[in-house]
Amino acid sequence: MTGRSIVVSLILVVGAVVAQTAVFGDGRINPFGVSPAVVIVVVLACARYLDAEPSILLGFTGGMLLDLLGGTPLGLWAMAYTVVVYVAFRFRERAEDGPFMLGLGVVGLTLLANALFLVAGTLFGERFFTNTDVIKDMVVPGFYNLIIAMAAFPVVTRLIGDRRRVRWST
Amino acid sequence: MQSFQRFDRSTTLMVALLVVSFLLATFDVRSDGAGVGTTMRDGAQTLFAPLQDMASAVTRPVVGFIDALSDIASLREENETLRLDNEQLRAQLDQLASIEAELEHLRELNELEAPQNLPTVPARIASLGSSTFDHVRYINKGSDDGISLGDAVIDERGLVGRIDLVLDRRARVRLILDPNVEVAVLDQSTSQAGIVRGNNDDPLVLRMFDVEEPARAGSVLVTAGSRFPPGITVGTITETATDEAGSGLVTGVAPAVSFSRLDFVKVIVGYSPLDVESVEEELEEDAGDSEQETDEIPNGDDDTTETTEEPAG
Repeated sequence: MTGRSIVVSLILVVGAVVAQTAVFGDGRINPFGVSPAVVIVVVLACARYLDAEPSILLGFTGGMLLDLLGGTPLGLWAMAYTVVVYVAFRFRERAEDGPFMLGLGVVGLTLLANALFLVAGTLFGERFFTNTDVIKDMVVPGFYNLIIAMAAFPVVTRLIGDRRRVRWST
Repeated sequence: MQSFQRFDRSTTLMVALLVVSFLLATFDVRSDGAGVGTTMRDGAQTLFAPLQDMASAVTRPVVGFIDALSDIASLREENETLRLDNEQLRAQLDQLASIEAELEHLRELNELEAPQNLPTVPARIASLGSSTFDHVRYINKGSDDGISLGDAVIDERGLVGRIDLVLDRRARVRLILDPNVEVAVLDQSTSQAGIVRGNNDDPLVLRMFDVEEPARAGSVLVTAGSRFPPGITVGTITETATDEAGSGLVTGVAPAVSFSRLDFVKVIVGYSPLDVESVEEELEEDAGDSEQETDEIPNGDDDTTETTEEPAG
């Protein structure tokens, strides 16, 4: 990990936040009424090549930017993404990198992020669970993210990654 | 040992960030749209607005094309060569259609007059909420254009939402889909009053209390006054419901506005619930029969129960 990889990661996350709030949202590209969660894909892709602390801070920053540009209380996405990156880091140390595990990780961690966000939001008075489609809204982004990850992971690997370690994605 | 220390440090950092997030969320909810949260949002919007505008401008024509591709996915059995040709033609057509639709939309919006001829500010959706769970839109106008907190937002079909955050050159619209937004409504066919609440999705939920007639499917609901100017179309009742047990009725409402196609809107500025009260007072003075007149004009005293919005960041 170098200072350059941290700066590039930050730029990528900012780009993902812009894409999420300008392109991938309700009213723009959201197939079947559900938006992908681009930011978490980019954060996870970068976290593969960063140490634990910068990864967690990157997740927190991405979440906080989403909170600042969204309409839900500040800190909810930051909270969710911080935990998810922490879990991802633990997962990374215990699992071999491979397409299947990475795919499973992206789907599972997106689901975890959404679940944490919904629970935290409910604790802060948001009425997310009045929606009968809440399960769909929580689960489907994981599969969209899987598709996005197939494109995003190799790009991030080229930009900041160690190519010797992750041969499959280069 | 080194690995243990690193794990320990990352856990500490995570816990610290969770505490920060929790405190921020608490302050934000408690401050109810004011304080440090708004300052931070203002700063973030100022920084990100040019980037978002650029991304929107670049991707707007492509979005229609991607929508078209989603449709094409369901027609796989079509001939492969024809499909490729179709995609190219469709892309061109979508771009043309998108321009035509935009023009038509602007024409309709231009002809749209706000209730009571209140002044309006035309605006365009600049950015979206940050997730599927976020029922807000940011518009490209703000306090510099005369927009203020609580202003109603409409398009040519009806009520879109209300302004819940105002920055200098941007404002946030909380859509009526949001469960934190309630709208006092009147059933046009029966003149019965009720409350429509967001449900995160279609349909919205209508509740009516102490009603004598059923709420019939197809009946149009309009705003009853109070926080929103009266007479704006909110939606159509989806299922007939009756108040059988005397405890009120609940049914669904299809919103008049198509939120997935929202692009241009108008913000009604200068309306205040006090306007209704002043009109009421004038009418009372003119007619000299206050009771009769009061029945016909939405009562400002009912505002707190008719339309409430809970803190929502």
